[in-house]
Amino acid sequence: MGDPTGEPGSSMHGVTGREQSFAFSVASPIVHTDKTAKFDLPVDTEHKATVFKLFSFSKPHMRTFHLSWISFSTCFVSTFAAAPLVPIIRENLNLTKQDIGNAGVASVSGSIFSRLVMGAVCDLLGPRYGCAFLVMLSAPTVFSMSFVSGAAGFITVRFMIGFCLATFVSCQYWMSTMFNSQIIGLVNGTAAGWGNMGGGITQLLMPVVYEIIRRAGASAFTAWRIAFFVPGWLHIIMGILVLTLGQDLPDGNRAALEKAGEVAKDKFGKIMWYAVTNYRTWIFVLLYGYSMGVELSTDNVIAEYFFDRFHLKLHTAGLIAACFGMANFFARPAGGWASDFSAKYFGMRGRLWTLWIIQTAGGLFCVWLGRANTLVTAVVAMVLFSLGAQAACGATFAIVPFVSRRALGIISGLTGAGGNFGSGLTQLLFFSTNQFTTEEGLTWMGVMIVGCTLPVAFIHFPQWGSMFLPPSKDPVKSTEEHYYASEWTEQEKQKNMHQGSLRFAENAKSEGGRRVRSAATPPDSTPNNV
Amino acid sequence: MMAKDHTLYQDLTCTQFFHQKSIFLLPKFPNSTMTIHTLLFVSLLIFSFIESSRGGNKDRLFTELQNLLEVTAKPVQDVIVLEAGKDMVTIKWKLKSSGKVDADATFKTIQVKLCYAPISQVDRPWRKTHNELFKDKTCPHEIVSKPYDKTPQSLDWTVDLDIPTGTYFVRAYGIDGDGQEVAYGQSSDEGRTKNLFSVQAISGGHVSLDIASILFSVFSVVSLLVFFVKEKKKAKLEQRE
Repeated sequence: MGDPTGEPGSSMHGVTGREQSFAFSVASPIVHTDKTAKFDLPVDTEHKATVFKLFSFSKPHMRTFHLSWISFSTCFVSTFAAAPLVPIIRENLNLTKQDIGNAGVASVSGSIFSRLVMGAVCDLLGPRYGCAFLVMLSAPTVFSMSFVSGAAGFITVRFMIGFCLATFVSCQYWMSTMFNSQIIGLVNGTAAGWGNMGGGITQLLMPVVYEIIRRAGASAFTAWRIAFFVPGWLHIIMGILVLTLGQDLPDGNRAALEKAGEVAKDKFGKIMWYAVTNYRTWIFVLLYGYSMGVELSTDNVIAEYFFDRFHLKLHTAGLIAACFGMANFFARPAGGWASDFSAKYFGMRGRLWTLWIIQTAGGLFCVWLGRANTLVTAVVAMVLFSLGAQAACGATFAIVPFVSRRALGIISGLTGAGGNFGSGLTQLLFFSTNQFTTEEGLTWMGVMIVGCTLPVAFIHFPQWGSMFLPPSKDPVKSTEEHYYASEWTEQEKQKNMHQGSLRFAENAKSEGGRRVRSAATPPDSTPNNV
Repeated sequence: MMAKDHTLYQDLTCTQFFHQKSIFLLPKFPNSTMTIHTLLFVSLLIFSFIESSRGGNKDRLFTELQNLLEVTAKPVQDVIVLEAGKDMVTIKWKLKSSGKVDADATFKTIQVKLCYAPISQVDRPWRKTHNELFKDKTCPHEIVSKPYDKTPQSLDWTVDLDIPTGTYFVRAYGIDGDGQEVAYGQSSDEGRTKNLFSVQAISGGHVSLDIASILFSVFSVVSLLVFFVKEKKKAKLEQRE
């Protein structure tokens, strides 16, 4: 319900983070502020906030933001809660390296499917209930860690906990009901980045909780089980907060959702076709698997790596591992910013180069991490690697909205799923077998990142060019209108169904770079309907 | 206009001050942030260099140690598998009679450790045997560490609660005054296949833990459903009005 037109995939609008990365507020005269509405923040005619005030908890908009990102972060905490405790768990459950690796793969696989279902759930129940249902129904999976007695149980429970990462969808969806589409990019990008931080918070939280419980007298093999109660309680607390403090829409709960008979204006099959047949979609699926994917893989292996390789205490290893995930706080938005900055001067070609440079740099630092023999060099390499990978995530979603206007939601969803798939693949290849030690696995993962980032060079937009090729010289094909209108058939164009795409094309002309911007585009023209 | 000139003048004097007072051969940076960044980076490099050059004593090898001690480890009760936290092992160690009489002159401390047999090391690289002593992970669990006594020693040791399930033997290291291992002895043979004993770890689970987790899980699901039903009822009532 984020988009009043109710298009399939509209729930993913705003996921992309490119829209107005700079913008904290909407300056466009096109958006009419509703001055009669009594909210703490200025709102538009749909009562969506037009200003993003980070440190406010005002009802309902900013409150939604904080409830949303914190519940998403909680799910990251519980999904990766086992990772820093693996040195203890592996002894209790008598796990082999394969078991640990398989559990890591399982933890990221579940959400590939749950994220796809979550969109439908949000359409059906609304994002508030979608989030609350997922968070509270996955609390039992977290608590069931206390029953686990062997490898099979461990892998199963990690798989089940992993389903809750679908809160990503409810988080972004909920935000798009509360924030105007002109600032939704920054809002959603911040929420996604801060949510991902949970993967870092857990690396520090769980060992500290474990230590406290141990000092209180519990044996090692009991203490880690008790420690899992903490993420479980967080699920319950956040679920209750979301239910009691949250609301579906700026004006209240569910009233507008009772709009029966809202016909979907676009057909799912058609959108799917345009998403799947656009070759750029698949390049981004691959790319995101090697930015977000390697981030998730590293969340799973890094604490154990530092514990074993450098003979650190559990909480010291956890502290270092936490630095990896916590860098998301600024690294992901910084990637989006870098992309926007390069677009100002070089347009889309600048964005592509920025993405390639950042992601390749991340890959090289990952290689360095694998080859680092001393603690200090390993930490430095790890931090630089985290900045590269996470900024690349931000830079990826700075380009994705330009791939397609009609199929944006599905492409965003596929890209996100690609991230989880890439994570499962790298864990399976490099961290689950005896063929590689963990340091060798990290090195080869870095090499694979560099290799799998090369396809960025193949992303070519006829109207803007690619990394090595200039825009097409053909007077028809080199227009933005042609590219975005080509997703509609002649029949659909006759029905004027493509008007949204044309408006988007007009606003996307700024991706031509500096000479285009200075030539024709007015300074405050921005995409206002993604 | 006046204010602008004033600040410019201030900037110039600050720079001059810095140049006059700086006794270090620092490059002239346009602002202090760059200075701080460079200092941090340089100190990082220096520390890395120091760390990496601290090779030295780390390279002592296990194969350099002499097998001077005779160690035996037998379960107190004749059971197939020892239970962690309950069953006991009698560990005895003394200097080998076949060696020189004063071979143990350098021993200051004796450290007795519980070690993994090869079968428990399969597919578990965190228990791997390395020749370099500082890297070796074969014997992570310490049983006892005490000043060296020339007389034969015996100890009845209860298997700790945090010992994992596996197959083990016992090794004793003779350590000199500098904390360096100089000799060893183990209860098994060189290939570590004989005289092993098995331990079954505690599960770590408790009934109270299971009950608590069930209670909280039920609470989570039930409270969600209660909320949902209550709100639906309220919405229905409101619709009727």
